[in-house]
Amino acid sequence: MRITGISRMLDSARAGLLATGLALAGLAGGLASCGLQKDIDVVLPVLPAQLVVEAYLEDGQVPRLTVTESVAYLSAPTPTIPTEITVTLTLPDGSRENLRFAPGFDRGTGKAYTHIGTRPLSPQPGQRFQLEVTDNKGRRVTGSATMPARIPIDTVEWQFNDREPEFREALILTRFRDPATPLNFYRIMIHKDSITDDPESEFALEDRLNNGEEFTLGTSFRFRPNDTVVVTLFHLDQAYNNFLESVEDARNANGNPFSQPAGIRSTVEGGIGVFTVLSYDRRTVIVR
Amino acid sequence: MTLRFAFGLFLLAFTLLPAACFAQARYTLSGLVKAAGNGEILPGATVAVPALGLGATADEKGAYQLTLPAGRYQLVVSFIGYQSLSRDLNLNRNQRQTFQLTAAGNELGEVVVEGSGTLEQKLQTTQMSVERLTAKEAKLLPALFGEVDILKTLQLKPGVQNGGEGTTGLFVRGGAADQNLVLLDDALVYNPSHLFGLFSVFNSDAVQSVDLYKGGFPAQYGGRLSSVVDVKMRPGNAEKIGVSGGIGLISSRLALEGPIKKGKGAFLVAGRRTYFDVFTRQINRLSADDPEFDPIPDYYFYDFNAKANYKLGPKDELFLTGYYGNDVFGFNSQNGFNFDFNWGNRVASLRWNHVYNSRLFLNTTLSYTGYKYEITNRIDQFSFSLASDIQDFTLRSDLDYRPNDQHEFRFGATLTNHRFGTGRLQAGSDDGRINFGSDTRYSGQEGAVYASDVYKPNDKWQFEYGLRASGFQSEGAGNRYGGLEPRAAARYAIKSNVSVKASYALMYQYVHLVTNSGASLPTDIWYPSRESVLPQRSQQVAAGVSWLLGNGRYLLTNEVYYKWAQRQIDFKDGAQLFVNPDLDSEFLFGKGWAYGNELYLEKKQGRLTGWIGYTLAWTNRQFPAQRGTAGINNGNSFFPIYDRRHNLSVVGIYNLSERLKLTSSFVFSSGQPTTLPQARFLFQDVFGENGGPVPVYPQRNTTRLAPVNRLDIGLVWQMKPTRWIPAADLTFSIYNAYNRRNPFFVFFEQLEDPETEEITGFRARQVSLFPVIPSVTYNFKF
Repeated sequence: MRITGISRMLDSARAGLLATGLALAGLAGGLASCGLQKDIDVVLPVLPAQLVVEAYLEDGQVPRLTVTESVAYLSAPTPTIPTEITVTLTLPDGSRENLRFAPGFDRGTGKAYTHIGTRPLSPQPGQRFQLEVTDNKGRRVTGSATMPARIPIDTVEWQFNDREPEFREALILTRFRDPATPLNFYRIMIHKDSITDDPESEFALEDRLNNGEEFTLGTSFRFRPNDTVVVTLFHLDQAYNNFLESVEDARNANGNPFSQPAGIRSTVEGGIGVFTVLSYDRRTVIVR
Repeated sequence: MTLRFAFGLFLLAFTLLPAACFAQARYTLSGLVKAAGNGEILPGATVAVPALGLGATADEKGAYQLTLPAGRYQLVVSFIGYQSLSRDLNLNRNQRQTFQLTAAGNELGEVVVEGSGTLEQKLQTTQMSVERLTAKEAKLLPALFGEVDILKTLQLKPGVQNGGEGTTGLFVRGGAADQNLVLLDDALVYNPSHLFGLFSVFNSDAVQSVDLYKGGFPAQYGGRLSSVVDVKMRPGNAEKIGVSGGIGLISSRLALEGPIKKGKGAFLVAGRRTYFDVFTRQINRLSADDPEFDPIPDYYFYDFNAKANYKLGPKDELFLTGYYGNDVFGFNSQNGFNFDFNWGNRVASLRWNHVYNSRLFLNTTLSYTGYKYEITNRIDQFSFSLASDIQDFTLRSDLDYRPNDQHEFRFGATLTNHRFGTGRLQAGSDDGRINFGSDTRYSGQEGAVYASDVYKPNDKWQFEYGLRASGFQSEGAGNRYGGLEPRAAARYAIKSNVSVKASYALMYQYVHLVTNSGASLPTDIWYPSRESVLPQRSQQVAAGVSWLLGNGRYLLTNEVYYKWAQRQIDFKDGAQLFVNPDLDSEFLFGKGWAYGNELYLEKKQGRLTGWIGYTLAWTNRQFPAQRGTAGINNGNSFFPIYDRRHNLSVVGIYNLSERLKLTSSFVFSSGQPTTLPQARFLFQDVFGENGGPVPVYPQRNTTRLAPVNRLDIGLVWQMKPTRWIPAADLTFSIYNAYNRRNPFFVFFEQLEDPETEEITGFRARQVSLFPVIPSVTYNFKF
């Protein structure tokens, strides 16, 4: 099990303790406890803006990626999109493809992108891709990514609880087998009806404690009869996993006094962000 | 030096010493100084011969010793807060006498204003950088929720920082939270706090005193780098059965004590429990119909203390101490989600005190300490648990030998067997289809031998010097470490009322707290030195001057210190600290250094007593590039969160009348360093499901929170005795009297349009923990 899961549980415990402490203070302080939060002015050091890259290559899809810039935390929320950017993708055969600047939205996911390629890719496990992003200010971001092996989902099962028909709900059990090689990382997303909605459940796992064994993941009772459930099992490389963990840690650190703020562990160099090749298996079932 | 060799030296010393002591010819008066009525020992009490201008001070076990020429003398035994005792003595042989002093002033015996240790004694002693507090002193001062806490009171002393407002964590002279050796009757306490540090585990009804050593560590202490917190439980009343207790805002206490057998021994049992959960359950019940209401989790803690002493004979006495405490935190929802989080300490020690003769004492202690936490989480048919623990068995022996008035030798040895459970994980389902777990355990043995001497060549000079040899081993080839720890201190009396002092100490620490929160939390785990995690080491030099002013009514002390430490521990960004069999790989190692000046003015007599402490200090840490990382803050030095530039505390206790005392404390400290995001970027994720801003933290602790200042006020009203309750008081406290919003932490919040849910901006918010909190506590004794 990925440790961030444990950390999250510990964070929950700490946050719960904090809530208890605040409630304690509130009870004891009565009305005076109102206003234990207040706006303050904070002067932050000014950091030079960094290029931010988010690029996922996917089998059968035209490559699309987003290049933005980091901004001062308290600045206006409008995204900063640099325009004078050159993006070059190097394919496993060594050929190079420039992705053109054409901001738009992906209809499938609703995600924004800034650059797009010309033809769909057919990456195979083990193939290595490279990315280079440069701009007219001398900034250069590079990264490489190798497609992990596809790990198949063995079974997706559901199991209803014993409640009355109008309250019947099912849990979902997903099974797959971890390969014998160590350092495998997984992300499981379980969507209801469509992957464009937020997932109902999401798990992050690694095989450190049970390498080479069968993994079984279960949700809580949350699916109604006739729900369509989409289970996606991503097999991640360690760099991508580290990046996801660091994003989660960084977000959790804002507002959690017990968390140690940590830097983003990007998969790219020269900037912030992720460049990876997605490798996943997907099952769709109807809960009946 | 190997452990075997060091222990050999120790045994040799033990073998030769008794032969040496019988060669002495002078007559010695020795014994104990106790409180009349309850038999409580009185460390710091003086036994003086005014005619000769000589005297002795009772040590931490209440024992004194005075060597004099044969003759008739008048002795004066005194201790602040007690009536002085005068006795005639005909010294014609070595004698042993126990003196009993009667408490001055009141029936509860709790409102002794001046505290322990006279200013004169503080001036004279070689030991510097030490703070002593009694529970009686702590009980007078205003406290958060009215919960008297001796560790929080220590935070009012110079050189001691807290881990956050209202918490008990001690950060001493730039040391981290895990670098304090916390002892309860010689047994180690690993996690001395309840509720993430808001309360300490020490029940004020059961505690007699605490000594905090910030530097100049005596050789009998070791195993931690920065401080020794030596807590002593009080013995039970040796004369009669007594009951005492208190009813407070969030907890109640009850203690029972009395003789086991008249003249032979006494016992004390004390317990307390919070009842905060009673209120929160009621609130949850009343708000059950409110869909917007988030139920408050159940939380309470309880602890029990016990102490018994029994005289086996004229020269042998046994002391048994026990502590058992738990924090219980739980959340059970109706939709199948259950969460339980329990943690606690268990401590036990058995000490055998043997008096060979009036000059030679032996104390042998067998102790056990254990700390564990367990989190269990259950959702529908799936369960998940996480636990960690540490257990120690320790055998130590200390031999005190006082051949004459010029020397006080002390020799000792200690051996500890550690068992570390750094992470136990178990996950499963009711039907057994999911079942996996992990359990990572280590063991280690820690030992030390030491010898020290307090040498008083004349009235001007006084020296204390010692050497400690310590070692540690854990599983695995080559996992053996050790070193010599020299200790030295000197005092020179410039005038009868002015002394200058200096000290040096080297310390090793072989077990380490794994935490990435900067504060000590229940979920932190202890980890042994092994392979790539070498023992931490520190050295400290300190110098100071003590000046008795105003005919002995004031003591002004100024100390400067410089401490430097190697192999300090921190962790990589994103380190996996829990259930990680390869935890070694997550450590980063660096150095630390701290320096500062502590100014302290104390008044212990008169209607107004108290102290003013001011500390100017710097604490730095530096972790260079290593292990595939750029280090911390790119290898540049940085201030840890417990660095405070200025720290001021003013404590006053004023006797309004015989039955009424007004107390107050004021604190000011510079803001603590904190890490705030300096930039953000937009992240969409694979399907756009986690879209939103991500904070960027390029450096640690580059910002400081606002300074902290707070005034607490208290009033202690001694009630008139009644037939049934001969002694009682009401203690009123107002914590944070002017309702200052001191910062606990700062976070950034995103502002959203309520209709479109679009982000419209960002703002910084400061969270405070405690507003003005009035409380009242009723204490009784019969």
